[in-house]
Amino acid sequence: MRTVLLASLRTHTRRYVAAFLAVTIAVGFVVVTNALATATKNGLSAGVRDAYPNADLVVGERYGIDDRDLARTLDVAREHDDRATVVGTALTRAAVDGRVLGSDVAVATVATQDDLRRQQVVAGRAPRSDREALADRNAAKANGVRVGDTVVLGDGPRAQRVRVVGLARSVSYLGANLYVPWSTVSMLPGATADSVLYDVRGSVDERRQQLDRAVGSAEVRSRDAYVDDRVTMVNQGVDVISYLLLLFAAIAGFVSVLVIANTFTILFAQRTRDLALLRCVGATRGQVLRSVRVESLVLALVAATIGVLGGALAGYGLAAVVRLLAGSQRIGAVGFSPVWLVGAFVGGVVVTLVAAWLPTRAVVRVSPLAALRPAETPSVRTRAGRVRTALGLLTLAGGSAALAGAVAGNSLPVLLLGGMTSFVGVLLLGPLVVPALLRALGRVVGRTGPAVRIATANTVRNPRRSAATTASLLVGVTLATAVLTGMASARGAIGDEMDGEHPVDVSLTGDRPVTGAVLERVERTRDVRSARTVDGVVARVDGLGRVPVLTPDRADRAATRDAGAVTAARGEVLVPTSVATRSTTGVPDRVRLVVDGRSTTVRTKLVGADWGEALVVTPATARDLGTARPLAIWVSARDGADPDALGGDLGAVARDTGLDPTNALKDRAWVDLQLDVLVWAVLGLLGVGIAIALVGIANTVGLSVLERGREHALLRALGLTRRQLRRVLAAEGLLLALVAALLGTTLGTTYGWLGTLTVVRTAVPDAPLVVPWGELAAVVLVAALAGLVACVLPARRAARVAPAQGLTLD
Amino acid sequence: MHALAGVDLDLAPGRFTAIMGPSGSGKSTLMHCLAGLDRPSDGSVVVAGVELARLGDDQLTRFRRDRLGFVFQAFNLLPMLTARQNIVLPLELAGRRVDADVRRRVDQVVEVLGLADRLDHRPGELSGGQQQRVAIARALVGDADIVFADEPTGNLDSTASAEVLSYLRRSVRELGRTVVMVTHELDAAAYADDVVVLADGRVRTHLQAPSSAELVAALAPTTGAAR
Repeated sequence: MRTVLLASLRTHTRRYVAAFLAVTIAVGFVVVTNALATATKNGLSAGVRDAYPNADLVVGERYGIDDRDLARTLDVAREHDDRATVVGTALTRAAVDGRVLGSDVAVATVATQDDLRRQQVVAGRAPRSDREALADRNAAKANGVRVGDTVVLGDGPRAQRVRVVGLARSVSYLGANLYVPWSTVSMLPGATADSVLYDVRGSVDERRQQLDRAVGSAEVRSRDAYVDDRVTMVNQGVDVISYLLLLFAAIAGFVSVLVIANTFTILFAQRTRDLALLRCVGATRGQVLRSVRVESLVLALVAATIGVLGGALAGYGLAAVVRLLAGSQRIGAVGFSPVWLVGAFVGGVVVTLVAAWLPTRAVVRVSPLAALRPAETPSVRTRAGRVRTALGLLTLAGGSAALAGAVAGNSLPVLLLGGMTSFVGVLLLGPLVVPALLRALGRVVGRTGPAVRIATANTVRNPRRSAATTASLLVGVTLATAVLTGMASARGAIGDEMDGEHPVDVSLTGDRPVTGAVLERVERTRDVRSARTVDGVVARVDGLGRVPVLTPDRADRAATRDAGAVTAARGEVLVPTSVATRSTTGVPDRVRLVVDGRSTTVRTKLVGADWGEALVVTPATARDLGTARPLAIWVSARDGADPDALGGDLGAVARDTGLDPTNALKDRAWVDLQLDVLVWAVLGLLGVGIAIALVGIANTVGLSVLERGREHALLRALGLTRRQLRRVLAAEGLLLALVAALLGTTLGTTYGWLGTLTVVRTAVPDAPLVVPWGELAAVVLVAALAGLVACVLPARRAARVAPAQGLTLD
Repeated sequence: MHALAGVDLDLAPGRFTAIMGPSGSGKSTLMHCLAGLDRPSDGSVVVAGVELARLGDDQLTRFRRDRLGFVFQAFNLLPMLTARQNIVLPLELAGRRVDADVRRRVDQVVEVLGLADRLDHRPGELSGGQQQRVAIARALVGDADIVFADEPTGNLDSTASAEVLSYLRRSVRELGRTVVMVTHELDAAAYADDVVVLADGRVRTHLQAPSSAELVAALAPTTGAAR
């Protein structure tokens, strides 16, 4: 049997290409995931180690250190003349020469003692006082900050001015754009302390005990113990992401199973005569079965091996690319864990063997007599079995019930479970549903000519194969459209929320009247759609000091993104939280507004909205206080305006005119960017699944071409031109892809909506159900194009068949 | 090595011609060349006044579709189409609408071939003889000048064979078609008007309306080696 096996492997190599590719891609994907995860971990671990240099002890809890423990630790250090430095971070507004760099600029600590400093200074020198700062080299370059510049951190009375004295190399852990000593960081709103780095002068053990007694909940650990703990924590985060990636690998594996099972089914159908002949000349069933199983084993081993090797190479390549793009500090040395490698290899082999198992069983049923019958078309007519149908209906019903329950009970796990179960149900019903859809679709497009009609007839003749072929694409399309729909709905919901929080795109507020010339200058700025002055008075307010109090009229309010957010009720003052948090004493429930001796008392309403440093009251309230004059300019930006460019341009106007700019567009852009990144990441990963699905379609159509050589010859003899034959095959691929795309889009949109109802509605009760028509159309188009592309090679091969070929008896 | 060499043959219209010869004598190759399914490496084939070598692949395909009909030994019908769909397939490929005229012709042919109650069956549900009759119906339903039949009875029992052959003869006699049939069976050749005997790629004899005795004599030296 070995001669037969080897000869068969040699002869059929080309037909195994698709199955081989599918396994290789899936295995390679797992290996690449591991390589990149390891590289990321190595990069982060090195970063963590570098962040705690040269100290004997580190004081801190798992997630930071509280103020009391911090103060006590520093007290102990002062008492014993030890050196200690606080590690901490803050997010704050930063500006250089009135040019706002951002409202959420990352600031972290730098030690003023040289050997406790974690940053590596690459230009200038290290800070020696509270008022000196180190800037991240890359961030400084991007923002045009140079050594010697003065940066204003925060705003209002607690704003801190620091001078940049040097540039630092970027770090991956506790990295920031600007590093200033803790005494300055601690003054910023939202500053958090991570730990205290403690260098002992004298006995470490003794001090450790003293510190232990001094602090409350904080732990005192040796530097190495602390770093190891942190590394583990950071790595756990990476592991979570790797496991998420494994989910996609599992999808890729599942799709591979379908492709491989299809390949073997078709291959064995074609080889029925060969196998029967083997049986005729004396091979036992066992021998034949062993022979084909060993074939699948060889395929499995070769594909898995190449998948592991290819994945490893791709891992090194990708790591190099990331290093090039993101800088060397982000990613460390590529490494592989044996568990993952072995897992990927074994997984690939097992998936192949499992997928080949059922088709090979059919081999046993080949009777020796089959060899003696005249060559018939090897056609595996399959039908949806009754058991399968019943099981499918049951699963679908169960899954749908779970989905309904999930929406009613707002439960994400039940939603996922219901989604998966119902999807399996759809897959099980595939042999019924897919041919029906193919027939319906074929009837619609069948009017275009005989080619499409023949193609339709071809695709429905083998329901199980068509179902398996479309299933591979169905998985990818369903997931992609579910994510797109869910994201679109979430984006809509978040968009409404953002409108309420940031009703004014950019506001310029001051305490002196704005002149017409300034307004004109703002209006002329690029990307400004409209700008309006808003009247108000400057009042003295309890707990807030002198602040502009604005009275936007109806037209002013209508020009904002959410008129309701800037509308005050009678006898009420709207106080944005950004203004309220500046108050050192807090804002009372009722406040007195005083202008030049005239005063009025109003109810305070704290709002999450933001329109700059100003309060809002009704015109009636303002009239009680005096004549309102234009104190602010509210700008509405054009769609697609670059938030940074607009912020910079208007910031320049504000600086020249003594106004205070607030750029809400930038916050909005940041949230949008995060959603975009999420969508792109998911779509990118799904690309892997879709790539395998395409290999699957090319495979099915390609093998069908081999299988139907005689039919094609007959069609050519009867008068089908080459072009028409190519069109038949293109139409087959297109029909299969379109059915998968349409069914997948329908399912995906439904899942996306259910996800929105379950997840997004808990956060935003009236989140809209959005259909992202454009994106869905793009998915369908991509799938259809891919179906066409998958058929190019098989169609070319089929068209080469001479009409006389295969019509006579072999 | 050529499958055919120096064949010079003239087939008359309106007649039923059988091409005979042992295995490997070039019967099928000759028929494929005559029918424009294959191109001779040298020489010319003229069918109904058209020089086939001058036609490009698409023109040749169209010529086959519009002027020729085919019946093969084993693989004749498309398995996914019903008998009726198979019969009108060449017309559909030509882009002709299945109008009343076509339907009348189909009915007529189907009547002659006795297929009326099998039209909605797929090939898998038909017997070998029925499949072959569907193939003949398909060949006749267009305006084919010539019907080529390649071992049309090779897979059939004697009853079905006799049936199929008499239908082919009727289509010559009653419908005025030209039929060229390749066969190695004497019984089948007996239905033909003319018989061409091939051996080693050459025409050995071209008999006009031979008697059984003449036929046996013409084949005698080779039949023993044939099978």
